[in-house]
Amino acid sequence: MISCPNWYPIFLREMLMFRRKLLKMGYLFSAMIVPVIYLATFGLGLGRSVNIGGTDYVNYLIPGLVAMSSMTNSYTWVATALNLNRIYFKTFQVFVQSPVSSCSIMIGQVLAGMVKGLFASLLILIVGFITSGALPISPLFFVTLLLNCFLFASLGVITGMKTRTHEDTSTYNNFFIMPMAFFSGTFFPIDRMPELLQILVYVFPLTHTNILMRKTMMDIGAMVSLSVLIVFATLFFIYGSRLIKNYSE
Amino acid sequence: MQSVMPSINVIEVSSLSKVYNVGEKFIKAIDDVSFSVKEGMVFGLLGPNGAGKTTTIKVLTTLTRPDKGRCIIGGFDLQKEPMEVKRLIAVVPQENNLDRELTAYENLLIYGKLHGVKDLKEKIEDKLRMVALMDRKDTMVSQFSGGMQRRLLLARALLSEPAILFLDEPTIGLDPQIRRQLWDVIRKTRIDGRTVVLTTHYIEEAEALCDQVAILSQGSIVANDTPENLKKLAGEYVVDVIDDTGKLSQSFFSSRDDALRELNKVGIGAKMRTTNLEDAFVRLTGMRIE
Repeated sequence: MISCPNWYPIFLREMLMFRRKLLKMGYLFSAMIVPVIYLATFGLGLGRSVNIGGTDYVNYLIPGLVAMSSMTNSYTWVATALNLNRIYFKTFQVFVQSPVSSCSIMIGQVLAGMVKGLFASLLILIVGFITSGALPISPLFFVTLLLNCFLFASLGVITGMKTRTHEDTSTYNNFFIMPMAFFSGTFFPIDRMPELLQILVYVFPLTHTNILMRKTMMDIGAMVSLSVLIVFATLFFIYGSRLIKNYSE
Repeated sequence: MQSVMPSINVIEVSSLSKVYNVGEKFIKAIDDVSFSVKEGMVFGLLGPNGAGKTTTIKVLTTLTRPDKGRCIIGGFDLQKEPMEVKRLIAVVPQENNLDRELTAYENLLIYGKLHGVKDLKEKIEDKLRMVALMDRKDTMVSQFSGGMQRRLLLARALLSEPAILFLDEPTIGLDPQIRRQLWDVIRKTRIDGRTVVLTTHYIEEAEALCDQVAILSQGSIVANDTPENLKKLAGEYVVDVIDDTGKLSQSFFSSRDDALRELNKVGIGAKMRTTNLEDAFVRLTGMRIE
């Protein structure tokens, strides 16, 4: 942080826009609709007949939905906004031409993405608590949530910087984010998948987020998953910063 | 205003080149461009669309990395000390890059914080008053007209009190009245002691504002001098002749007597006048600015 002191204006800009979006009911509705649908169809529909690891399906599902929603919101908002601001609105160029380091720009963007991811997660926790009375929050859950938002906001910066058109963002979404959302243990345990697919799924960072969010205490498995998330988050952050530093039109 | 090093040339550009790979083609946007700008002057880059003006500005404002060449701005090497250069400069880009989802005040607030401007609130209000937008400070930029947005861009650039101001086609698409209002602000900027580098394809803008003009054509500088000297270079007098098909041909003369002789020789359909910067441009590049 010491070498990247000027991240605040970048963060502030995003927050001013986010505050305005929050005041529009359409944004709140769209942020809530997908998780509510998942919770209603999978949770309340299957919840009564399915039991996983001795707990209700709804209790199993809510941490998964929080992981998924924090991922999509942290990632998508950053990737889309950066892509549009760089290619169409040209507002990203203001940052590049200002005396702020690439690291500051990266931190500002990532923190803004984290806020959006955390906000979406909070909505799910509220909806989940209202519908099922479940509130699966532990210190490990909270740390994992922060790390997950950081990781995917950093990945969002990478996508936002790499994409050449706005359509490219959807392509990245369809090939990486969507499969991760469904195959990383969000809706059903990974050990119920074919073994070959399991190997691939353990490469996905969201898998480790799901594992950690359902843990109640630290064990070897949790340590491994936490390490994987930290490595991914660090790599994505460094690569994102490099892309900003090497930006040239 | 931030001060630059006590050098006469505040900008020194030598052998600057930039090639873009477009599909399978390589396009030379700027080719071996060299020029220098003295402190406190308004320096114009004049040329048609695609001449390399914007690429030159993008390189000088750290947005584009050149393939070749060296730029010293305010005594700092652009490639080695970009952060020092960024502290000295401000840019009004050709394309509006204001945040449309923010108000005028918020746009300046973010920019001021990015540049570490002290007494920010007072300075924002001062700049908004300067461009006559104080009463619209809480209006979303998306509701501004094109002219208001250009004025806000100029206010934003001046907020950090830069030593060097880059203006890329600052009045493009504006009606004559707004254009002249912006010219007044640019002249005031010069009076305040700032160096201004502007690109334009409006001849009258270059003539009205610039102390020195570099004429760019197909990525290269074909002439670089004061507007008066450029006109002299082309010939101070011109005789326009329109033939039966409506085609205009021009002859340039360095003396009034020679021009008068030509006028008398051609007779009806010929007109003599003093050379303007557009004539000089046509003479030096063989092209007309659209």
